[in-house]
Amino acid sequence: MFTLSWSTLRDRKQLFAGALVAIALGVALVQASLLVLMSVSDPVIPSDLPRAERNEMREGFVGAAMLMGLQVPLVVFLAVFVVGSTCAFAVAQRRRDLALLRVLGGGRGQVRRLLAAESLLLGVVGALCGAPLGLVATWGQARLLEHVGFVPAGFRPTYWDWKAVLVAGATGTGIALLGSWNAARRAGRIRPLEAMHDTGAAARVMTPGRWCVGLSCLALSILLAVGAQAADMIGAVTIAMVLAVVGAVALSALAPLVVPLVARVFGLMLRRSALGALAEANIRDGARRNAAVAAPLITLVSLVLGLSGALGVLARSIGVEQEHLTRGDLVVTSADGARAARLAGIPGVADVSTRLTVPVPVTAEVRRDGPGAARPHVFDERVIAVDPAAYARARTLVPVSGSLADLRGDTVAVGSAVPAEGYRAPRVGDTVSVDVAGRERTLRVVAVLPETLDIGDEFLIPREALPADLLAAAPAESVLTVAPGTSVAEVAKRVRAAGLGESTTVARWAQGRADAQQDGNDKIFAVLLGLAGVYALIGVVNALVIATAERRAEFAVVRLSGLERPQVVRMALVEACAVTTIGLLLGGLVAAAGMAGTARSTAAATGTPIVVVPWGMLATTVLGAFAVTVVAAVVTTREATRERPARLAGART
Amino acid sequence: MGGMSGKVEYAPRDAEPVRPAPARPDVPVLEMRQAVRGYGGGDARVRALDGVDLSLDAGAWVAVMGPSGSGKSTLLHCAAGLDTVDSGRVTLLGEDLTGADDRRLTRLRRGTVGFVFQNFNLVASLTAEQNVALPLRLAGRRARREDVRSALADVGLADRARHRPRELSGGQQQRVALARAMVTRPRVLFADEPTGALDSASARTVLGLLRGMCDDAGQTIVMVTHDPVAAAAADTVVFLADGRVVDRIERPSARRIADRLVSLEV
Ligand SMILES: Nc1ncnc2c1ncn2[C@@H]1O[C@H](COP(=O)(O)OP(=O)(O)O)[C@@H](O)[C@H]1O
Ligand SMILES: [Mg+2]
Repeated sequence: MFTLSWSTLRDRKQLFAGALVAIALGVALVQASLLVLMSVSDPVIPSDLPRAERNEMREGFVGAAMLMGLQVPLVVFLAVFVVGSTCAFAVAQRRRDLALLRVLGGGRGQVRRLLAAESLLLGVVGALCGAPLGLVATWGQARLLEHVGFVPAGFRPTYWDWKAVLVAGATGTGIALLGSWNAARRAGRIRPLEAMHDTGAAARVMTPGRWCVGLSCLALSILLAVGAQAADMIGAVTIAMVLAVVGAVALSALAPLVVPLVARVFGLMLRRSALGALAEANIRDGARRNAAVAAPLITLVSLVLGLSGALGVLARSIGVEQEHLTRGDLVVTSADGARAARLAGIPGVADVSTRLTVPVPVTAEVRRDGPGAARPHVFDERVIAVDPAAYARARTLVPVSGSLADLRGDTVAVGSAVPAEGYRAPRVGDTVSVDVAGRERTLRVVAVLPETLDIGDEFLIPREALPADLLAAAPAESVLTVAPGTSVAEVAKRVRAAGLGESTTVARWAQGRADAQQDGNDKIFAVLLGLAGVYALIGVVNALVIATAERRAEFAVVRLSGLERPQVVRMALVEACAVTTIGLLLGGLVAAAGMAGTARSTAAATGTPIVVVPWGMLATTVLGAFAVTVVAAVVTTREATRERPARLAGART
Repeated sequence: MGGMSGKVEYAPRDAEPVRPAPARPDVPVLEMRQAVRGYGGGDARVRALDGVDLSLDAGAWVAVMGPSGSGKSTLLHCAAGLDTVDSGRVTLLGEDLTGADDRRLTRLRRGTVGFVFQNFNLVASLTAEQNVALPLRLAGRRARREDVRSALADVGLADRARHRPRELSGGQQQRVALARAMVTRPRVLFADEPTGALDSASARTVLGLLRGMCDDAGQTIVMVTHDPVAAAAADTVVFLADGRVVDRIERPSARRIADRLVSLEV
């Protein structure tokens, strides 16, 4: 029985190679994600560094661990998706072979066992190849983290851990088995009669499984899209991310229905030339094939657009929120508190509210949630020193408990973004300690500020609680209110002339906060989807290679009927481009559904619907997708048309 | 067409035990009673078989003829248990095929029936030898090299055992397919247009092989064809039109067949 597998392997290299590549790379990615997650979760932080630096490094690692924690399920999802889709496609392509086996006396069980054994073998070989590739992927992921600054330069991840390697290998093998399980089950139902038809009976592309997955995911997507309309902003952004995954699965499963439909629309354009008409007919006829190519594209685009769009909305909302929260005309950034203190003296300035960022470590003895000792925990390395009255005038943030009016003497107001690593947030009446120039001071919590999108004023301390020399040296940011009748631009000019700092309008400043957040987002995005995106693109190439390799006889027939080889290549190219476009459009559709949700909820939260189309990312994805499919289509079609057509057209391959 | 010259004699192997005759020669090998098989639904419904009555005896070579679309292939599929009739009855070697489950049909394909196709349907990745051995291995039987080799020798391809289909001419491929069908010693050989894709010399070779099997070993053959010359090689010709058996001629000449066919097509 295995002679058959082996010889099929030789003859249909592309099928097996495609499945193998998908499995091996999937295993490598999962392994890398796990290893890097392990490394950043348990980092080695040099003890000879100053405490502040150590803490900063630790914060970076915590952020990296959170991201990698998100990346692991994402990568597993992609691996399941790409491997499953590749294996199922590979089996579909062999349908006629399998039917022939049935005619020659093969039983249902035999066909099923053949496929199961093959995929077990593929899974094991893929896992074995994936392990060393995982080393490379781990290196790449670590460099990526280093490049975006989550981990210090020279970060060395654990490259080998048996547990991670075994888990990744088992995942890959399991996915391969699972992916072909369904296909094998279906293959067992292939009727021997199908071998008798010349063209191979049009196998039912929309199998019950496909319908089931497609419709249930579609229903879930619709629920999510509707739910997002009513959700709060963070909810809507989260939903948009989940929708990117679920919607992609739905449209990929339904692709055999949707792709020909969209192709019909393209047909209006394509039909003008003979080649175009042929290409259009091929797209509609090869629904299974084109669905396999479109599926990873749909997923890629919806993930890229969905995730980066959602993160972009978050960043933009931060800007909008900050603008709403700030009452004033100008924001002045000064090098130190001494200069900021002189702002009030500038003619035309009616009010100044200055925030001074003072490097003072904040410690608190707040219990961990759940069991655990009350241990002092360093929450932050800096506090914000303000004049409470001026602060309240310039910032419309109303405490959720306590009052800013009590912010006098040794007191503190805390932001609710404070709880970290399982520590609960300090409440009114709790105390926190600050280490001011080597002297410990105990501050009483008098107010808790509401949650904001931006991480900002975590620990607000009245100025008088801190020594003047510290205040004078601290970097400052002041909100200026310009006296009625005075030009804002004029005041800005005066501030600059006096050498007190750089002024921007509140709107500009808020935009700056958004941009800073977006910067962080881009890094997050690169870490999350960098390698995964490349994997999805490889999935596209894989499907194209498998699909084209199986069209040798078809190409031979069109060549015999008069097309020249370059024309065949062009026809395949038109098809590949059209399918790519369709995949991109469908992926965009999913992302758009998510964006509609966030637009609605941001409108409710901030008064302006916020839609962020990540044009740069979109352009990169579109160009990348086309570059990859064009090259793959040309190369594989040239390869598939190398032999003289007369030999192939007749032969049953 | 390769290195094949004209006619290849069908040479039965001396060592081979004589094929046991069907258990009860009086029972027809194949019997179809009012067999109906339709495709599609509603107005577009086509009755590919529209009440076929047919009875075929053991040891005979029957050609099924008829215009294109008359239901020849459908008849063959239903007779061989690859397809099922909507109504009526099909009995193969005394076994009722209507309502037979997949297990029984698989057993049938493993030992009782063999198939030859118009487009050869060899597995491209396997050598001639491996192709021939395939049905034996699928049936879980030991594929003895001598058996496989002698099946290939029977069709005059002993020297091509290690060749892959793409290295063989069409006629040679069809002979490999014939060897593959015969290696399990089926009681009935079904062939759908076995010469349809061949040039006339190769077609003659294949027909000669079939004739030899029939004469020397009493092989029962059911062959669908639209070629009067091919049909003339058979013992009996059954004519089909619009899904019904319309005529039956014993020991016909190619000329008579052609005339009858023309009368059906107009
Ligand atoms: N799978 C099918 N689906 C729909 N119609 C079919 C199918 N197979 C055969 N037919 C129709 O049944 C009729 C008989 O077909 P067939 O048995 O293949 O004829 P023949 O082999 O004599 O050319 C034709 O009209 C054909 O169009
Ligand atoms: Mg036919």
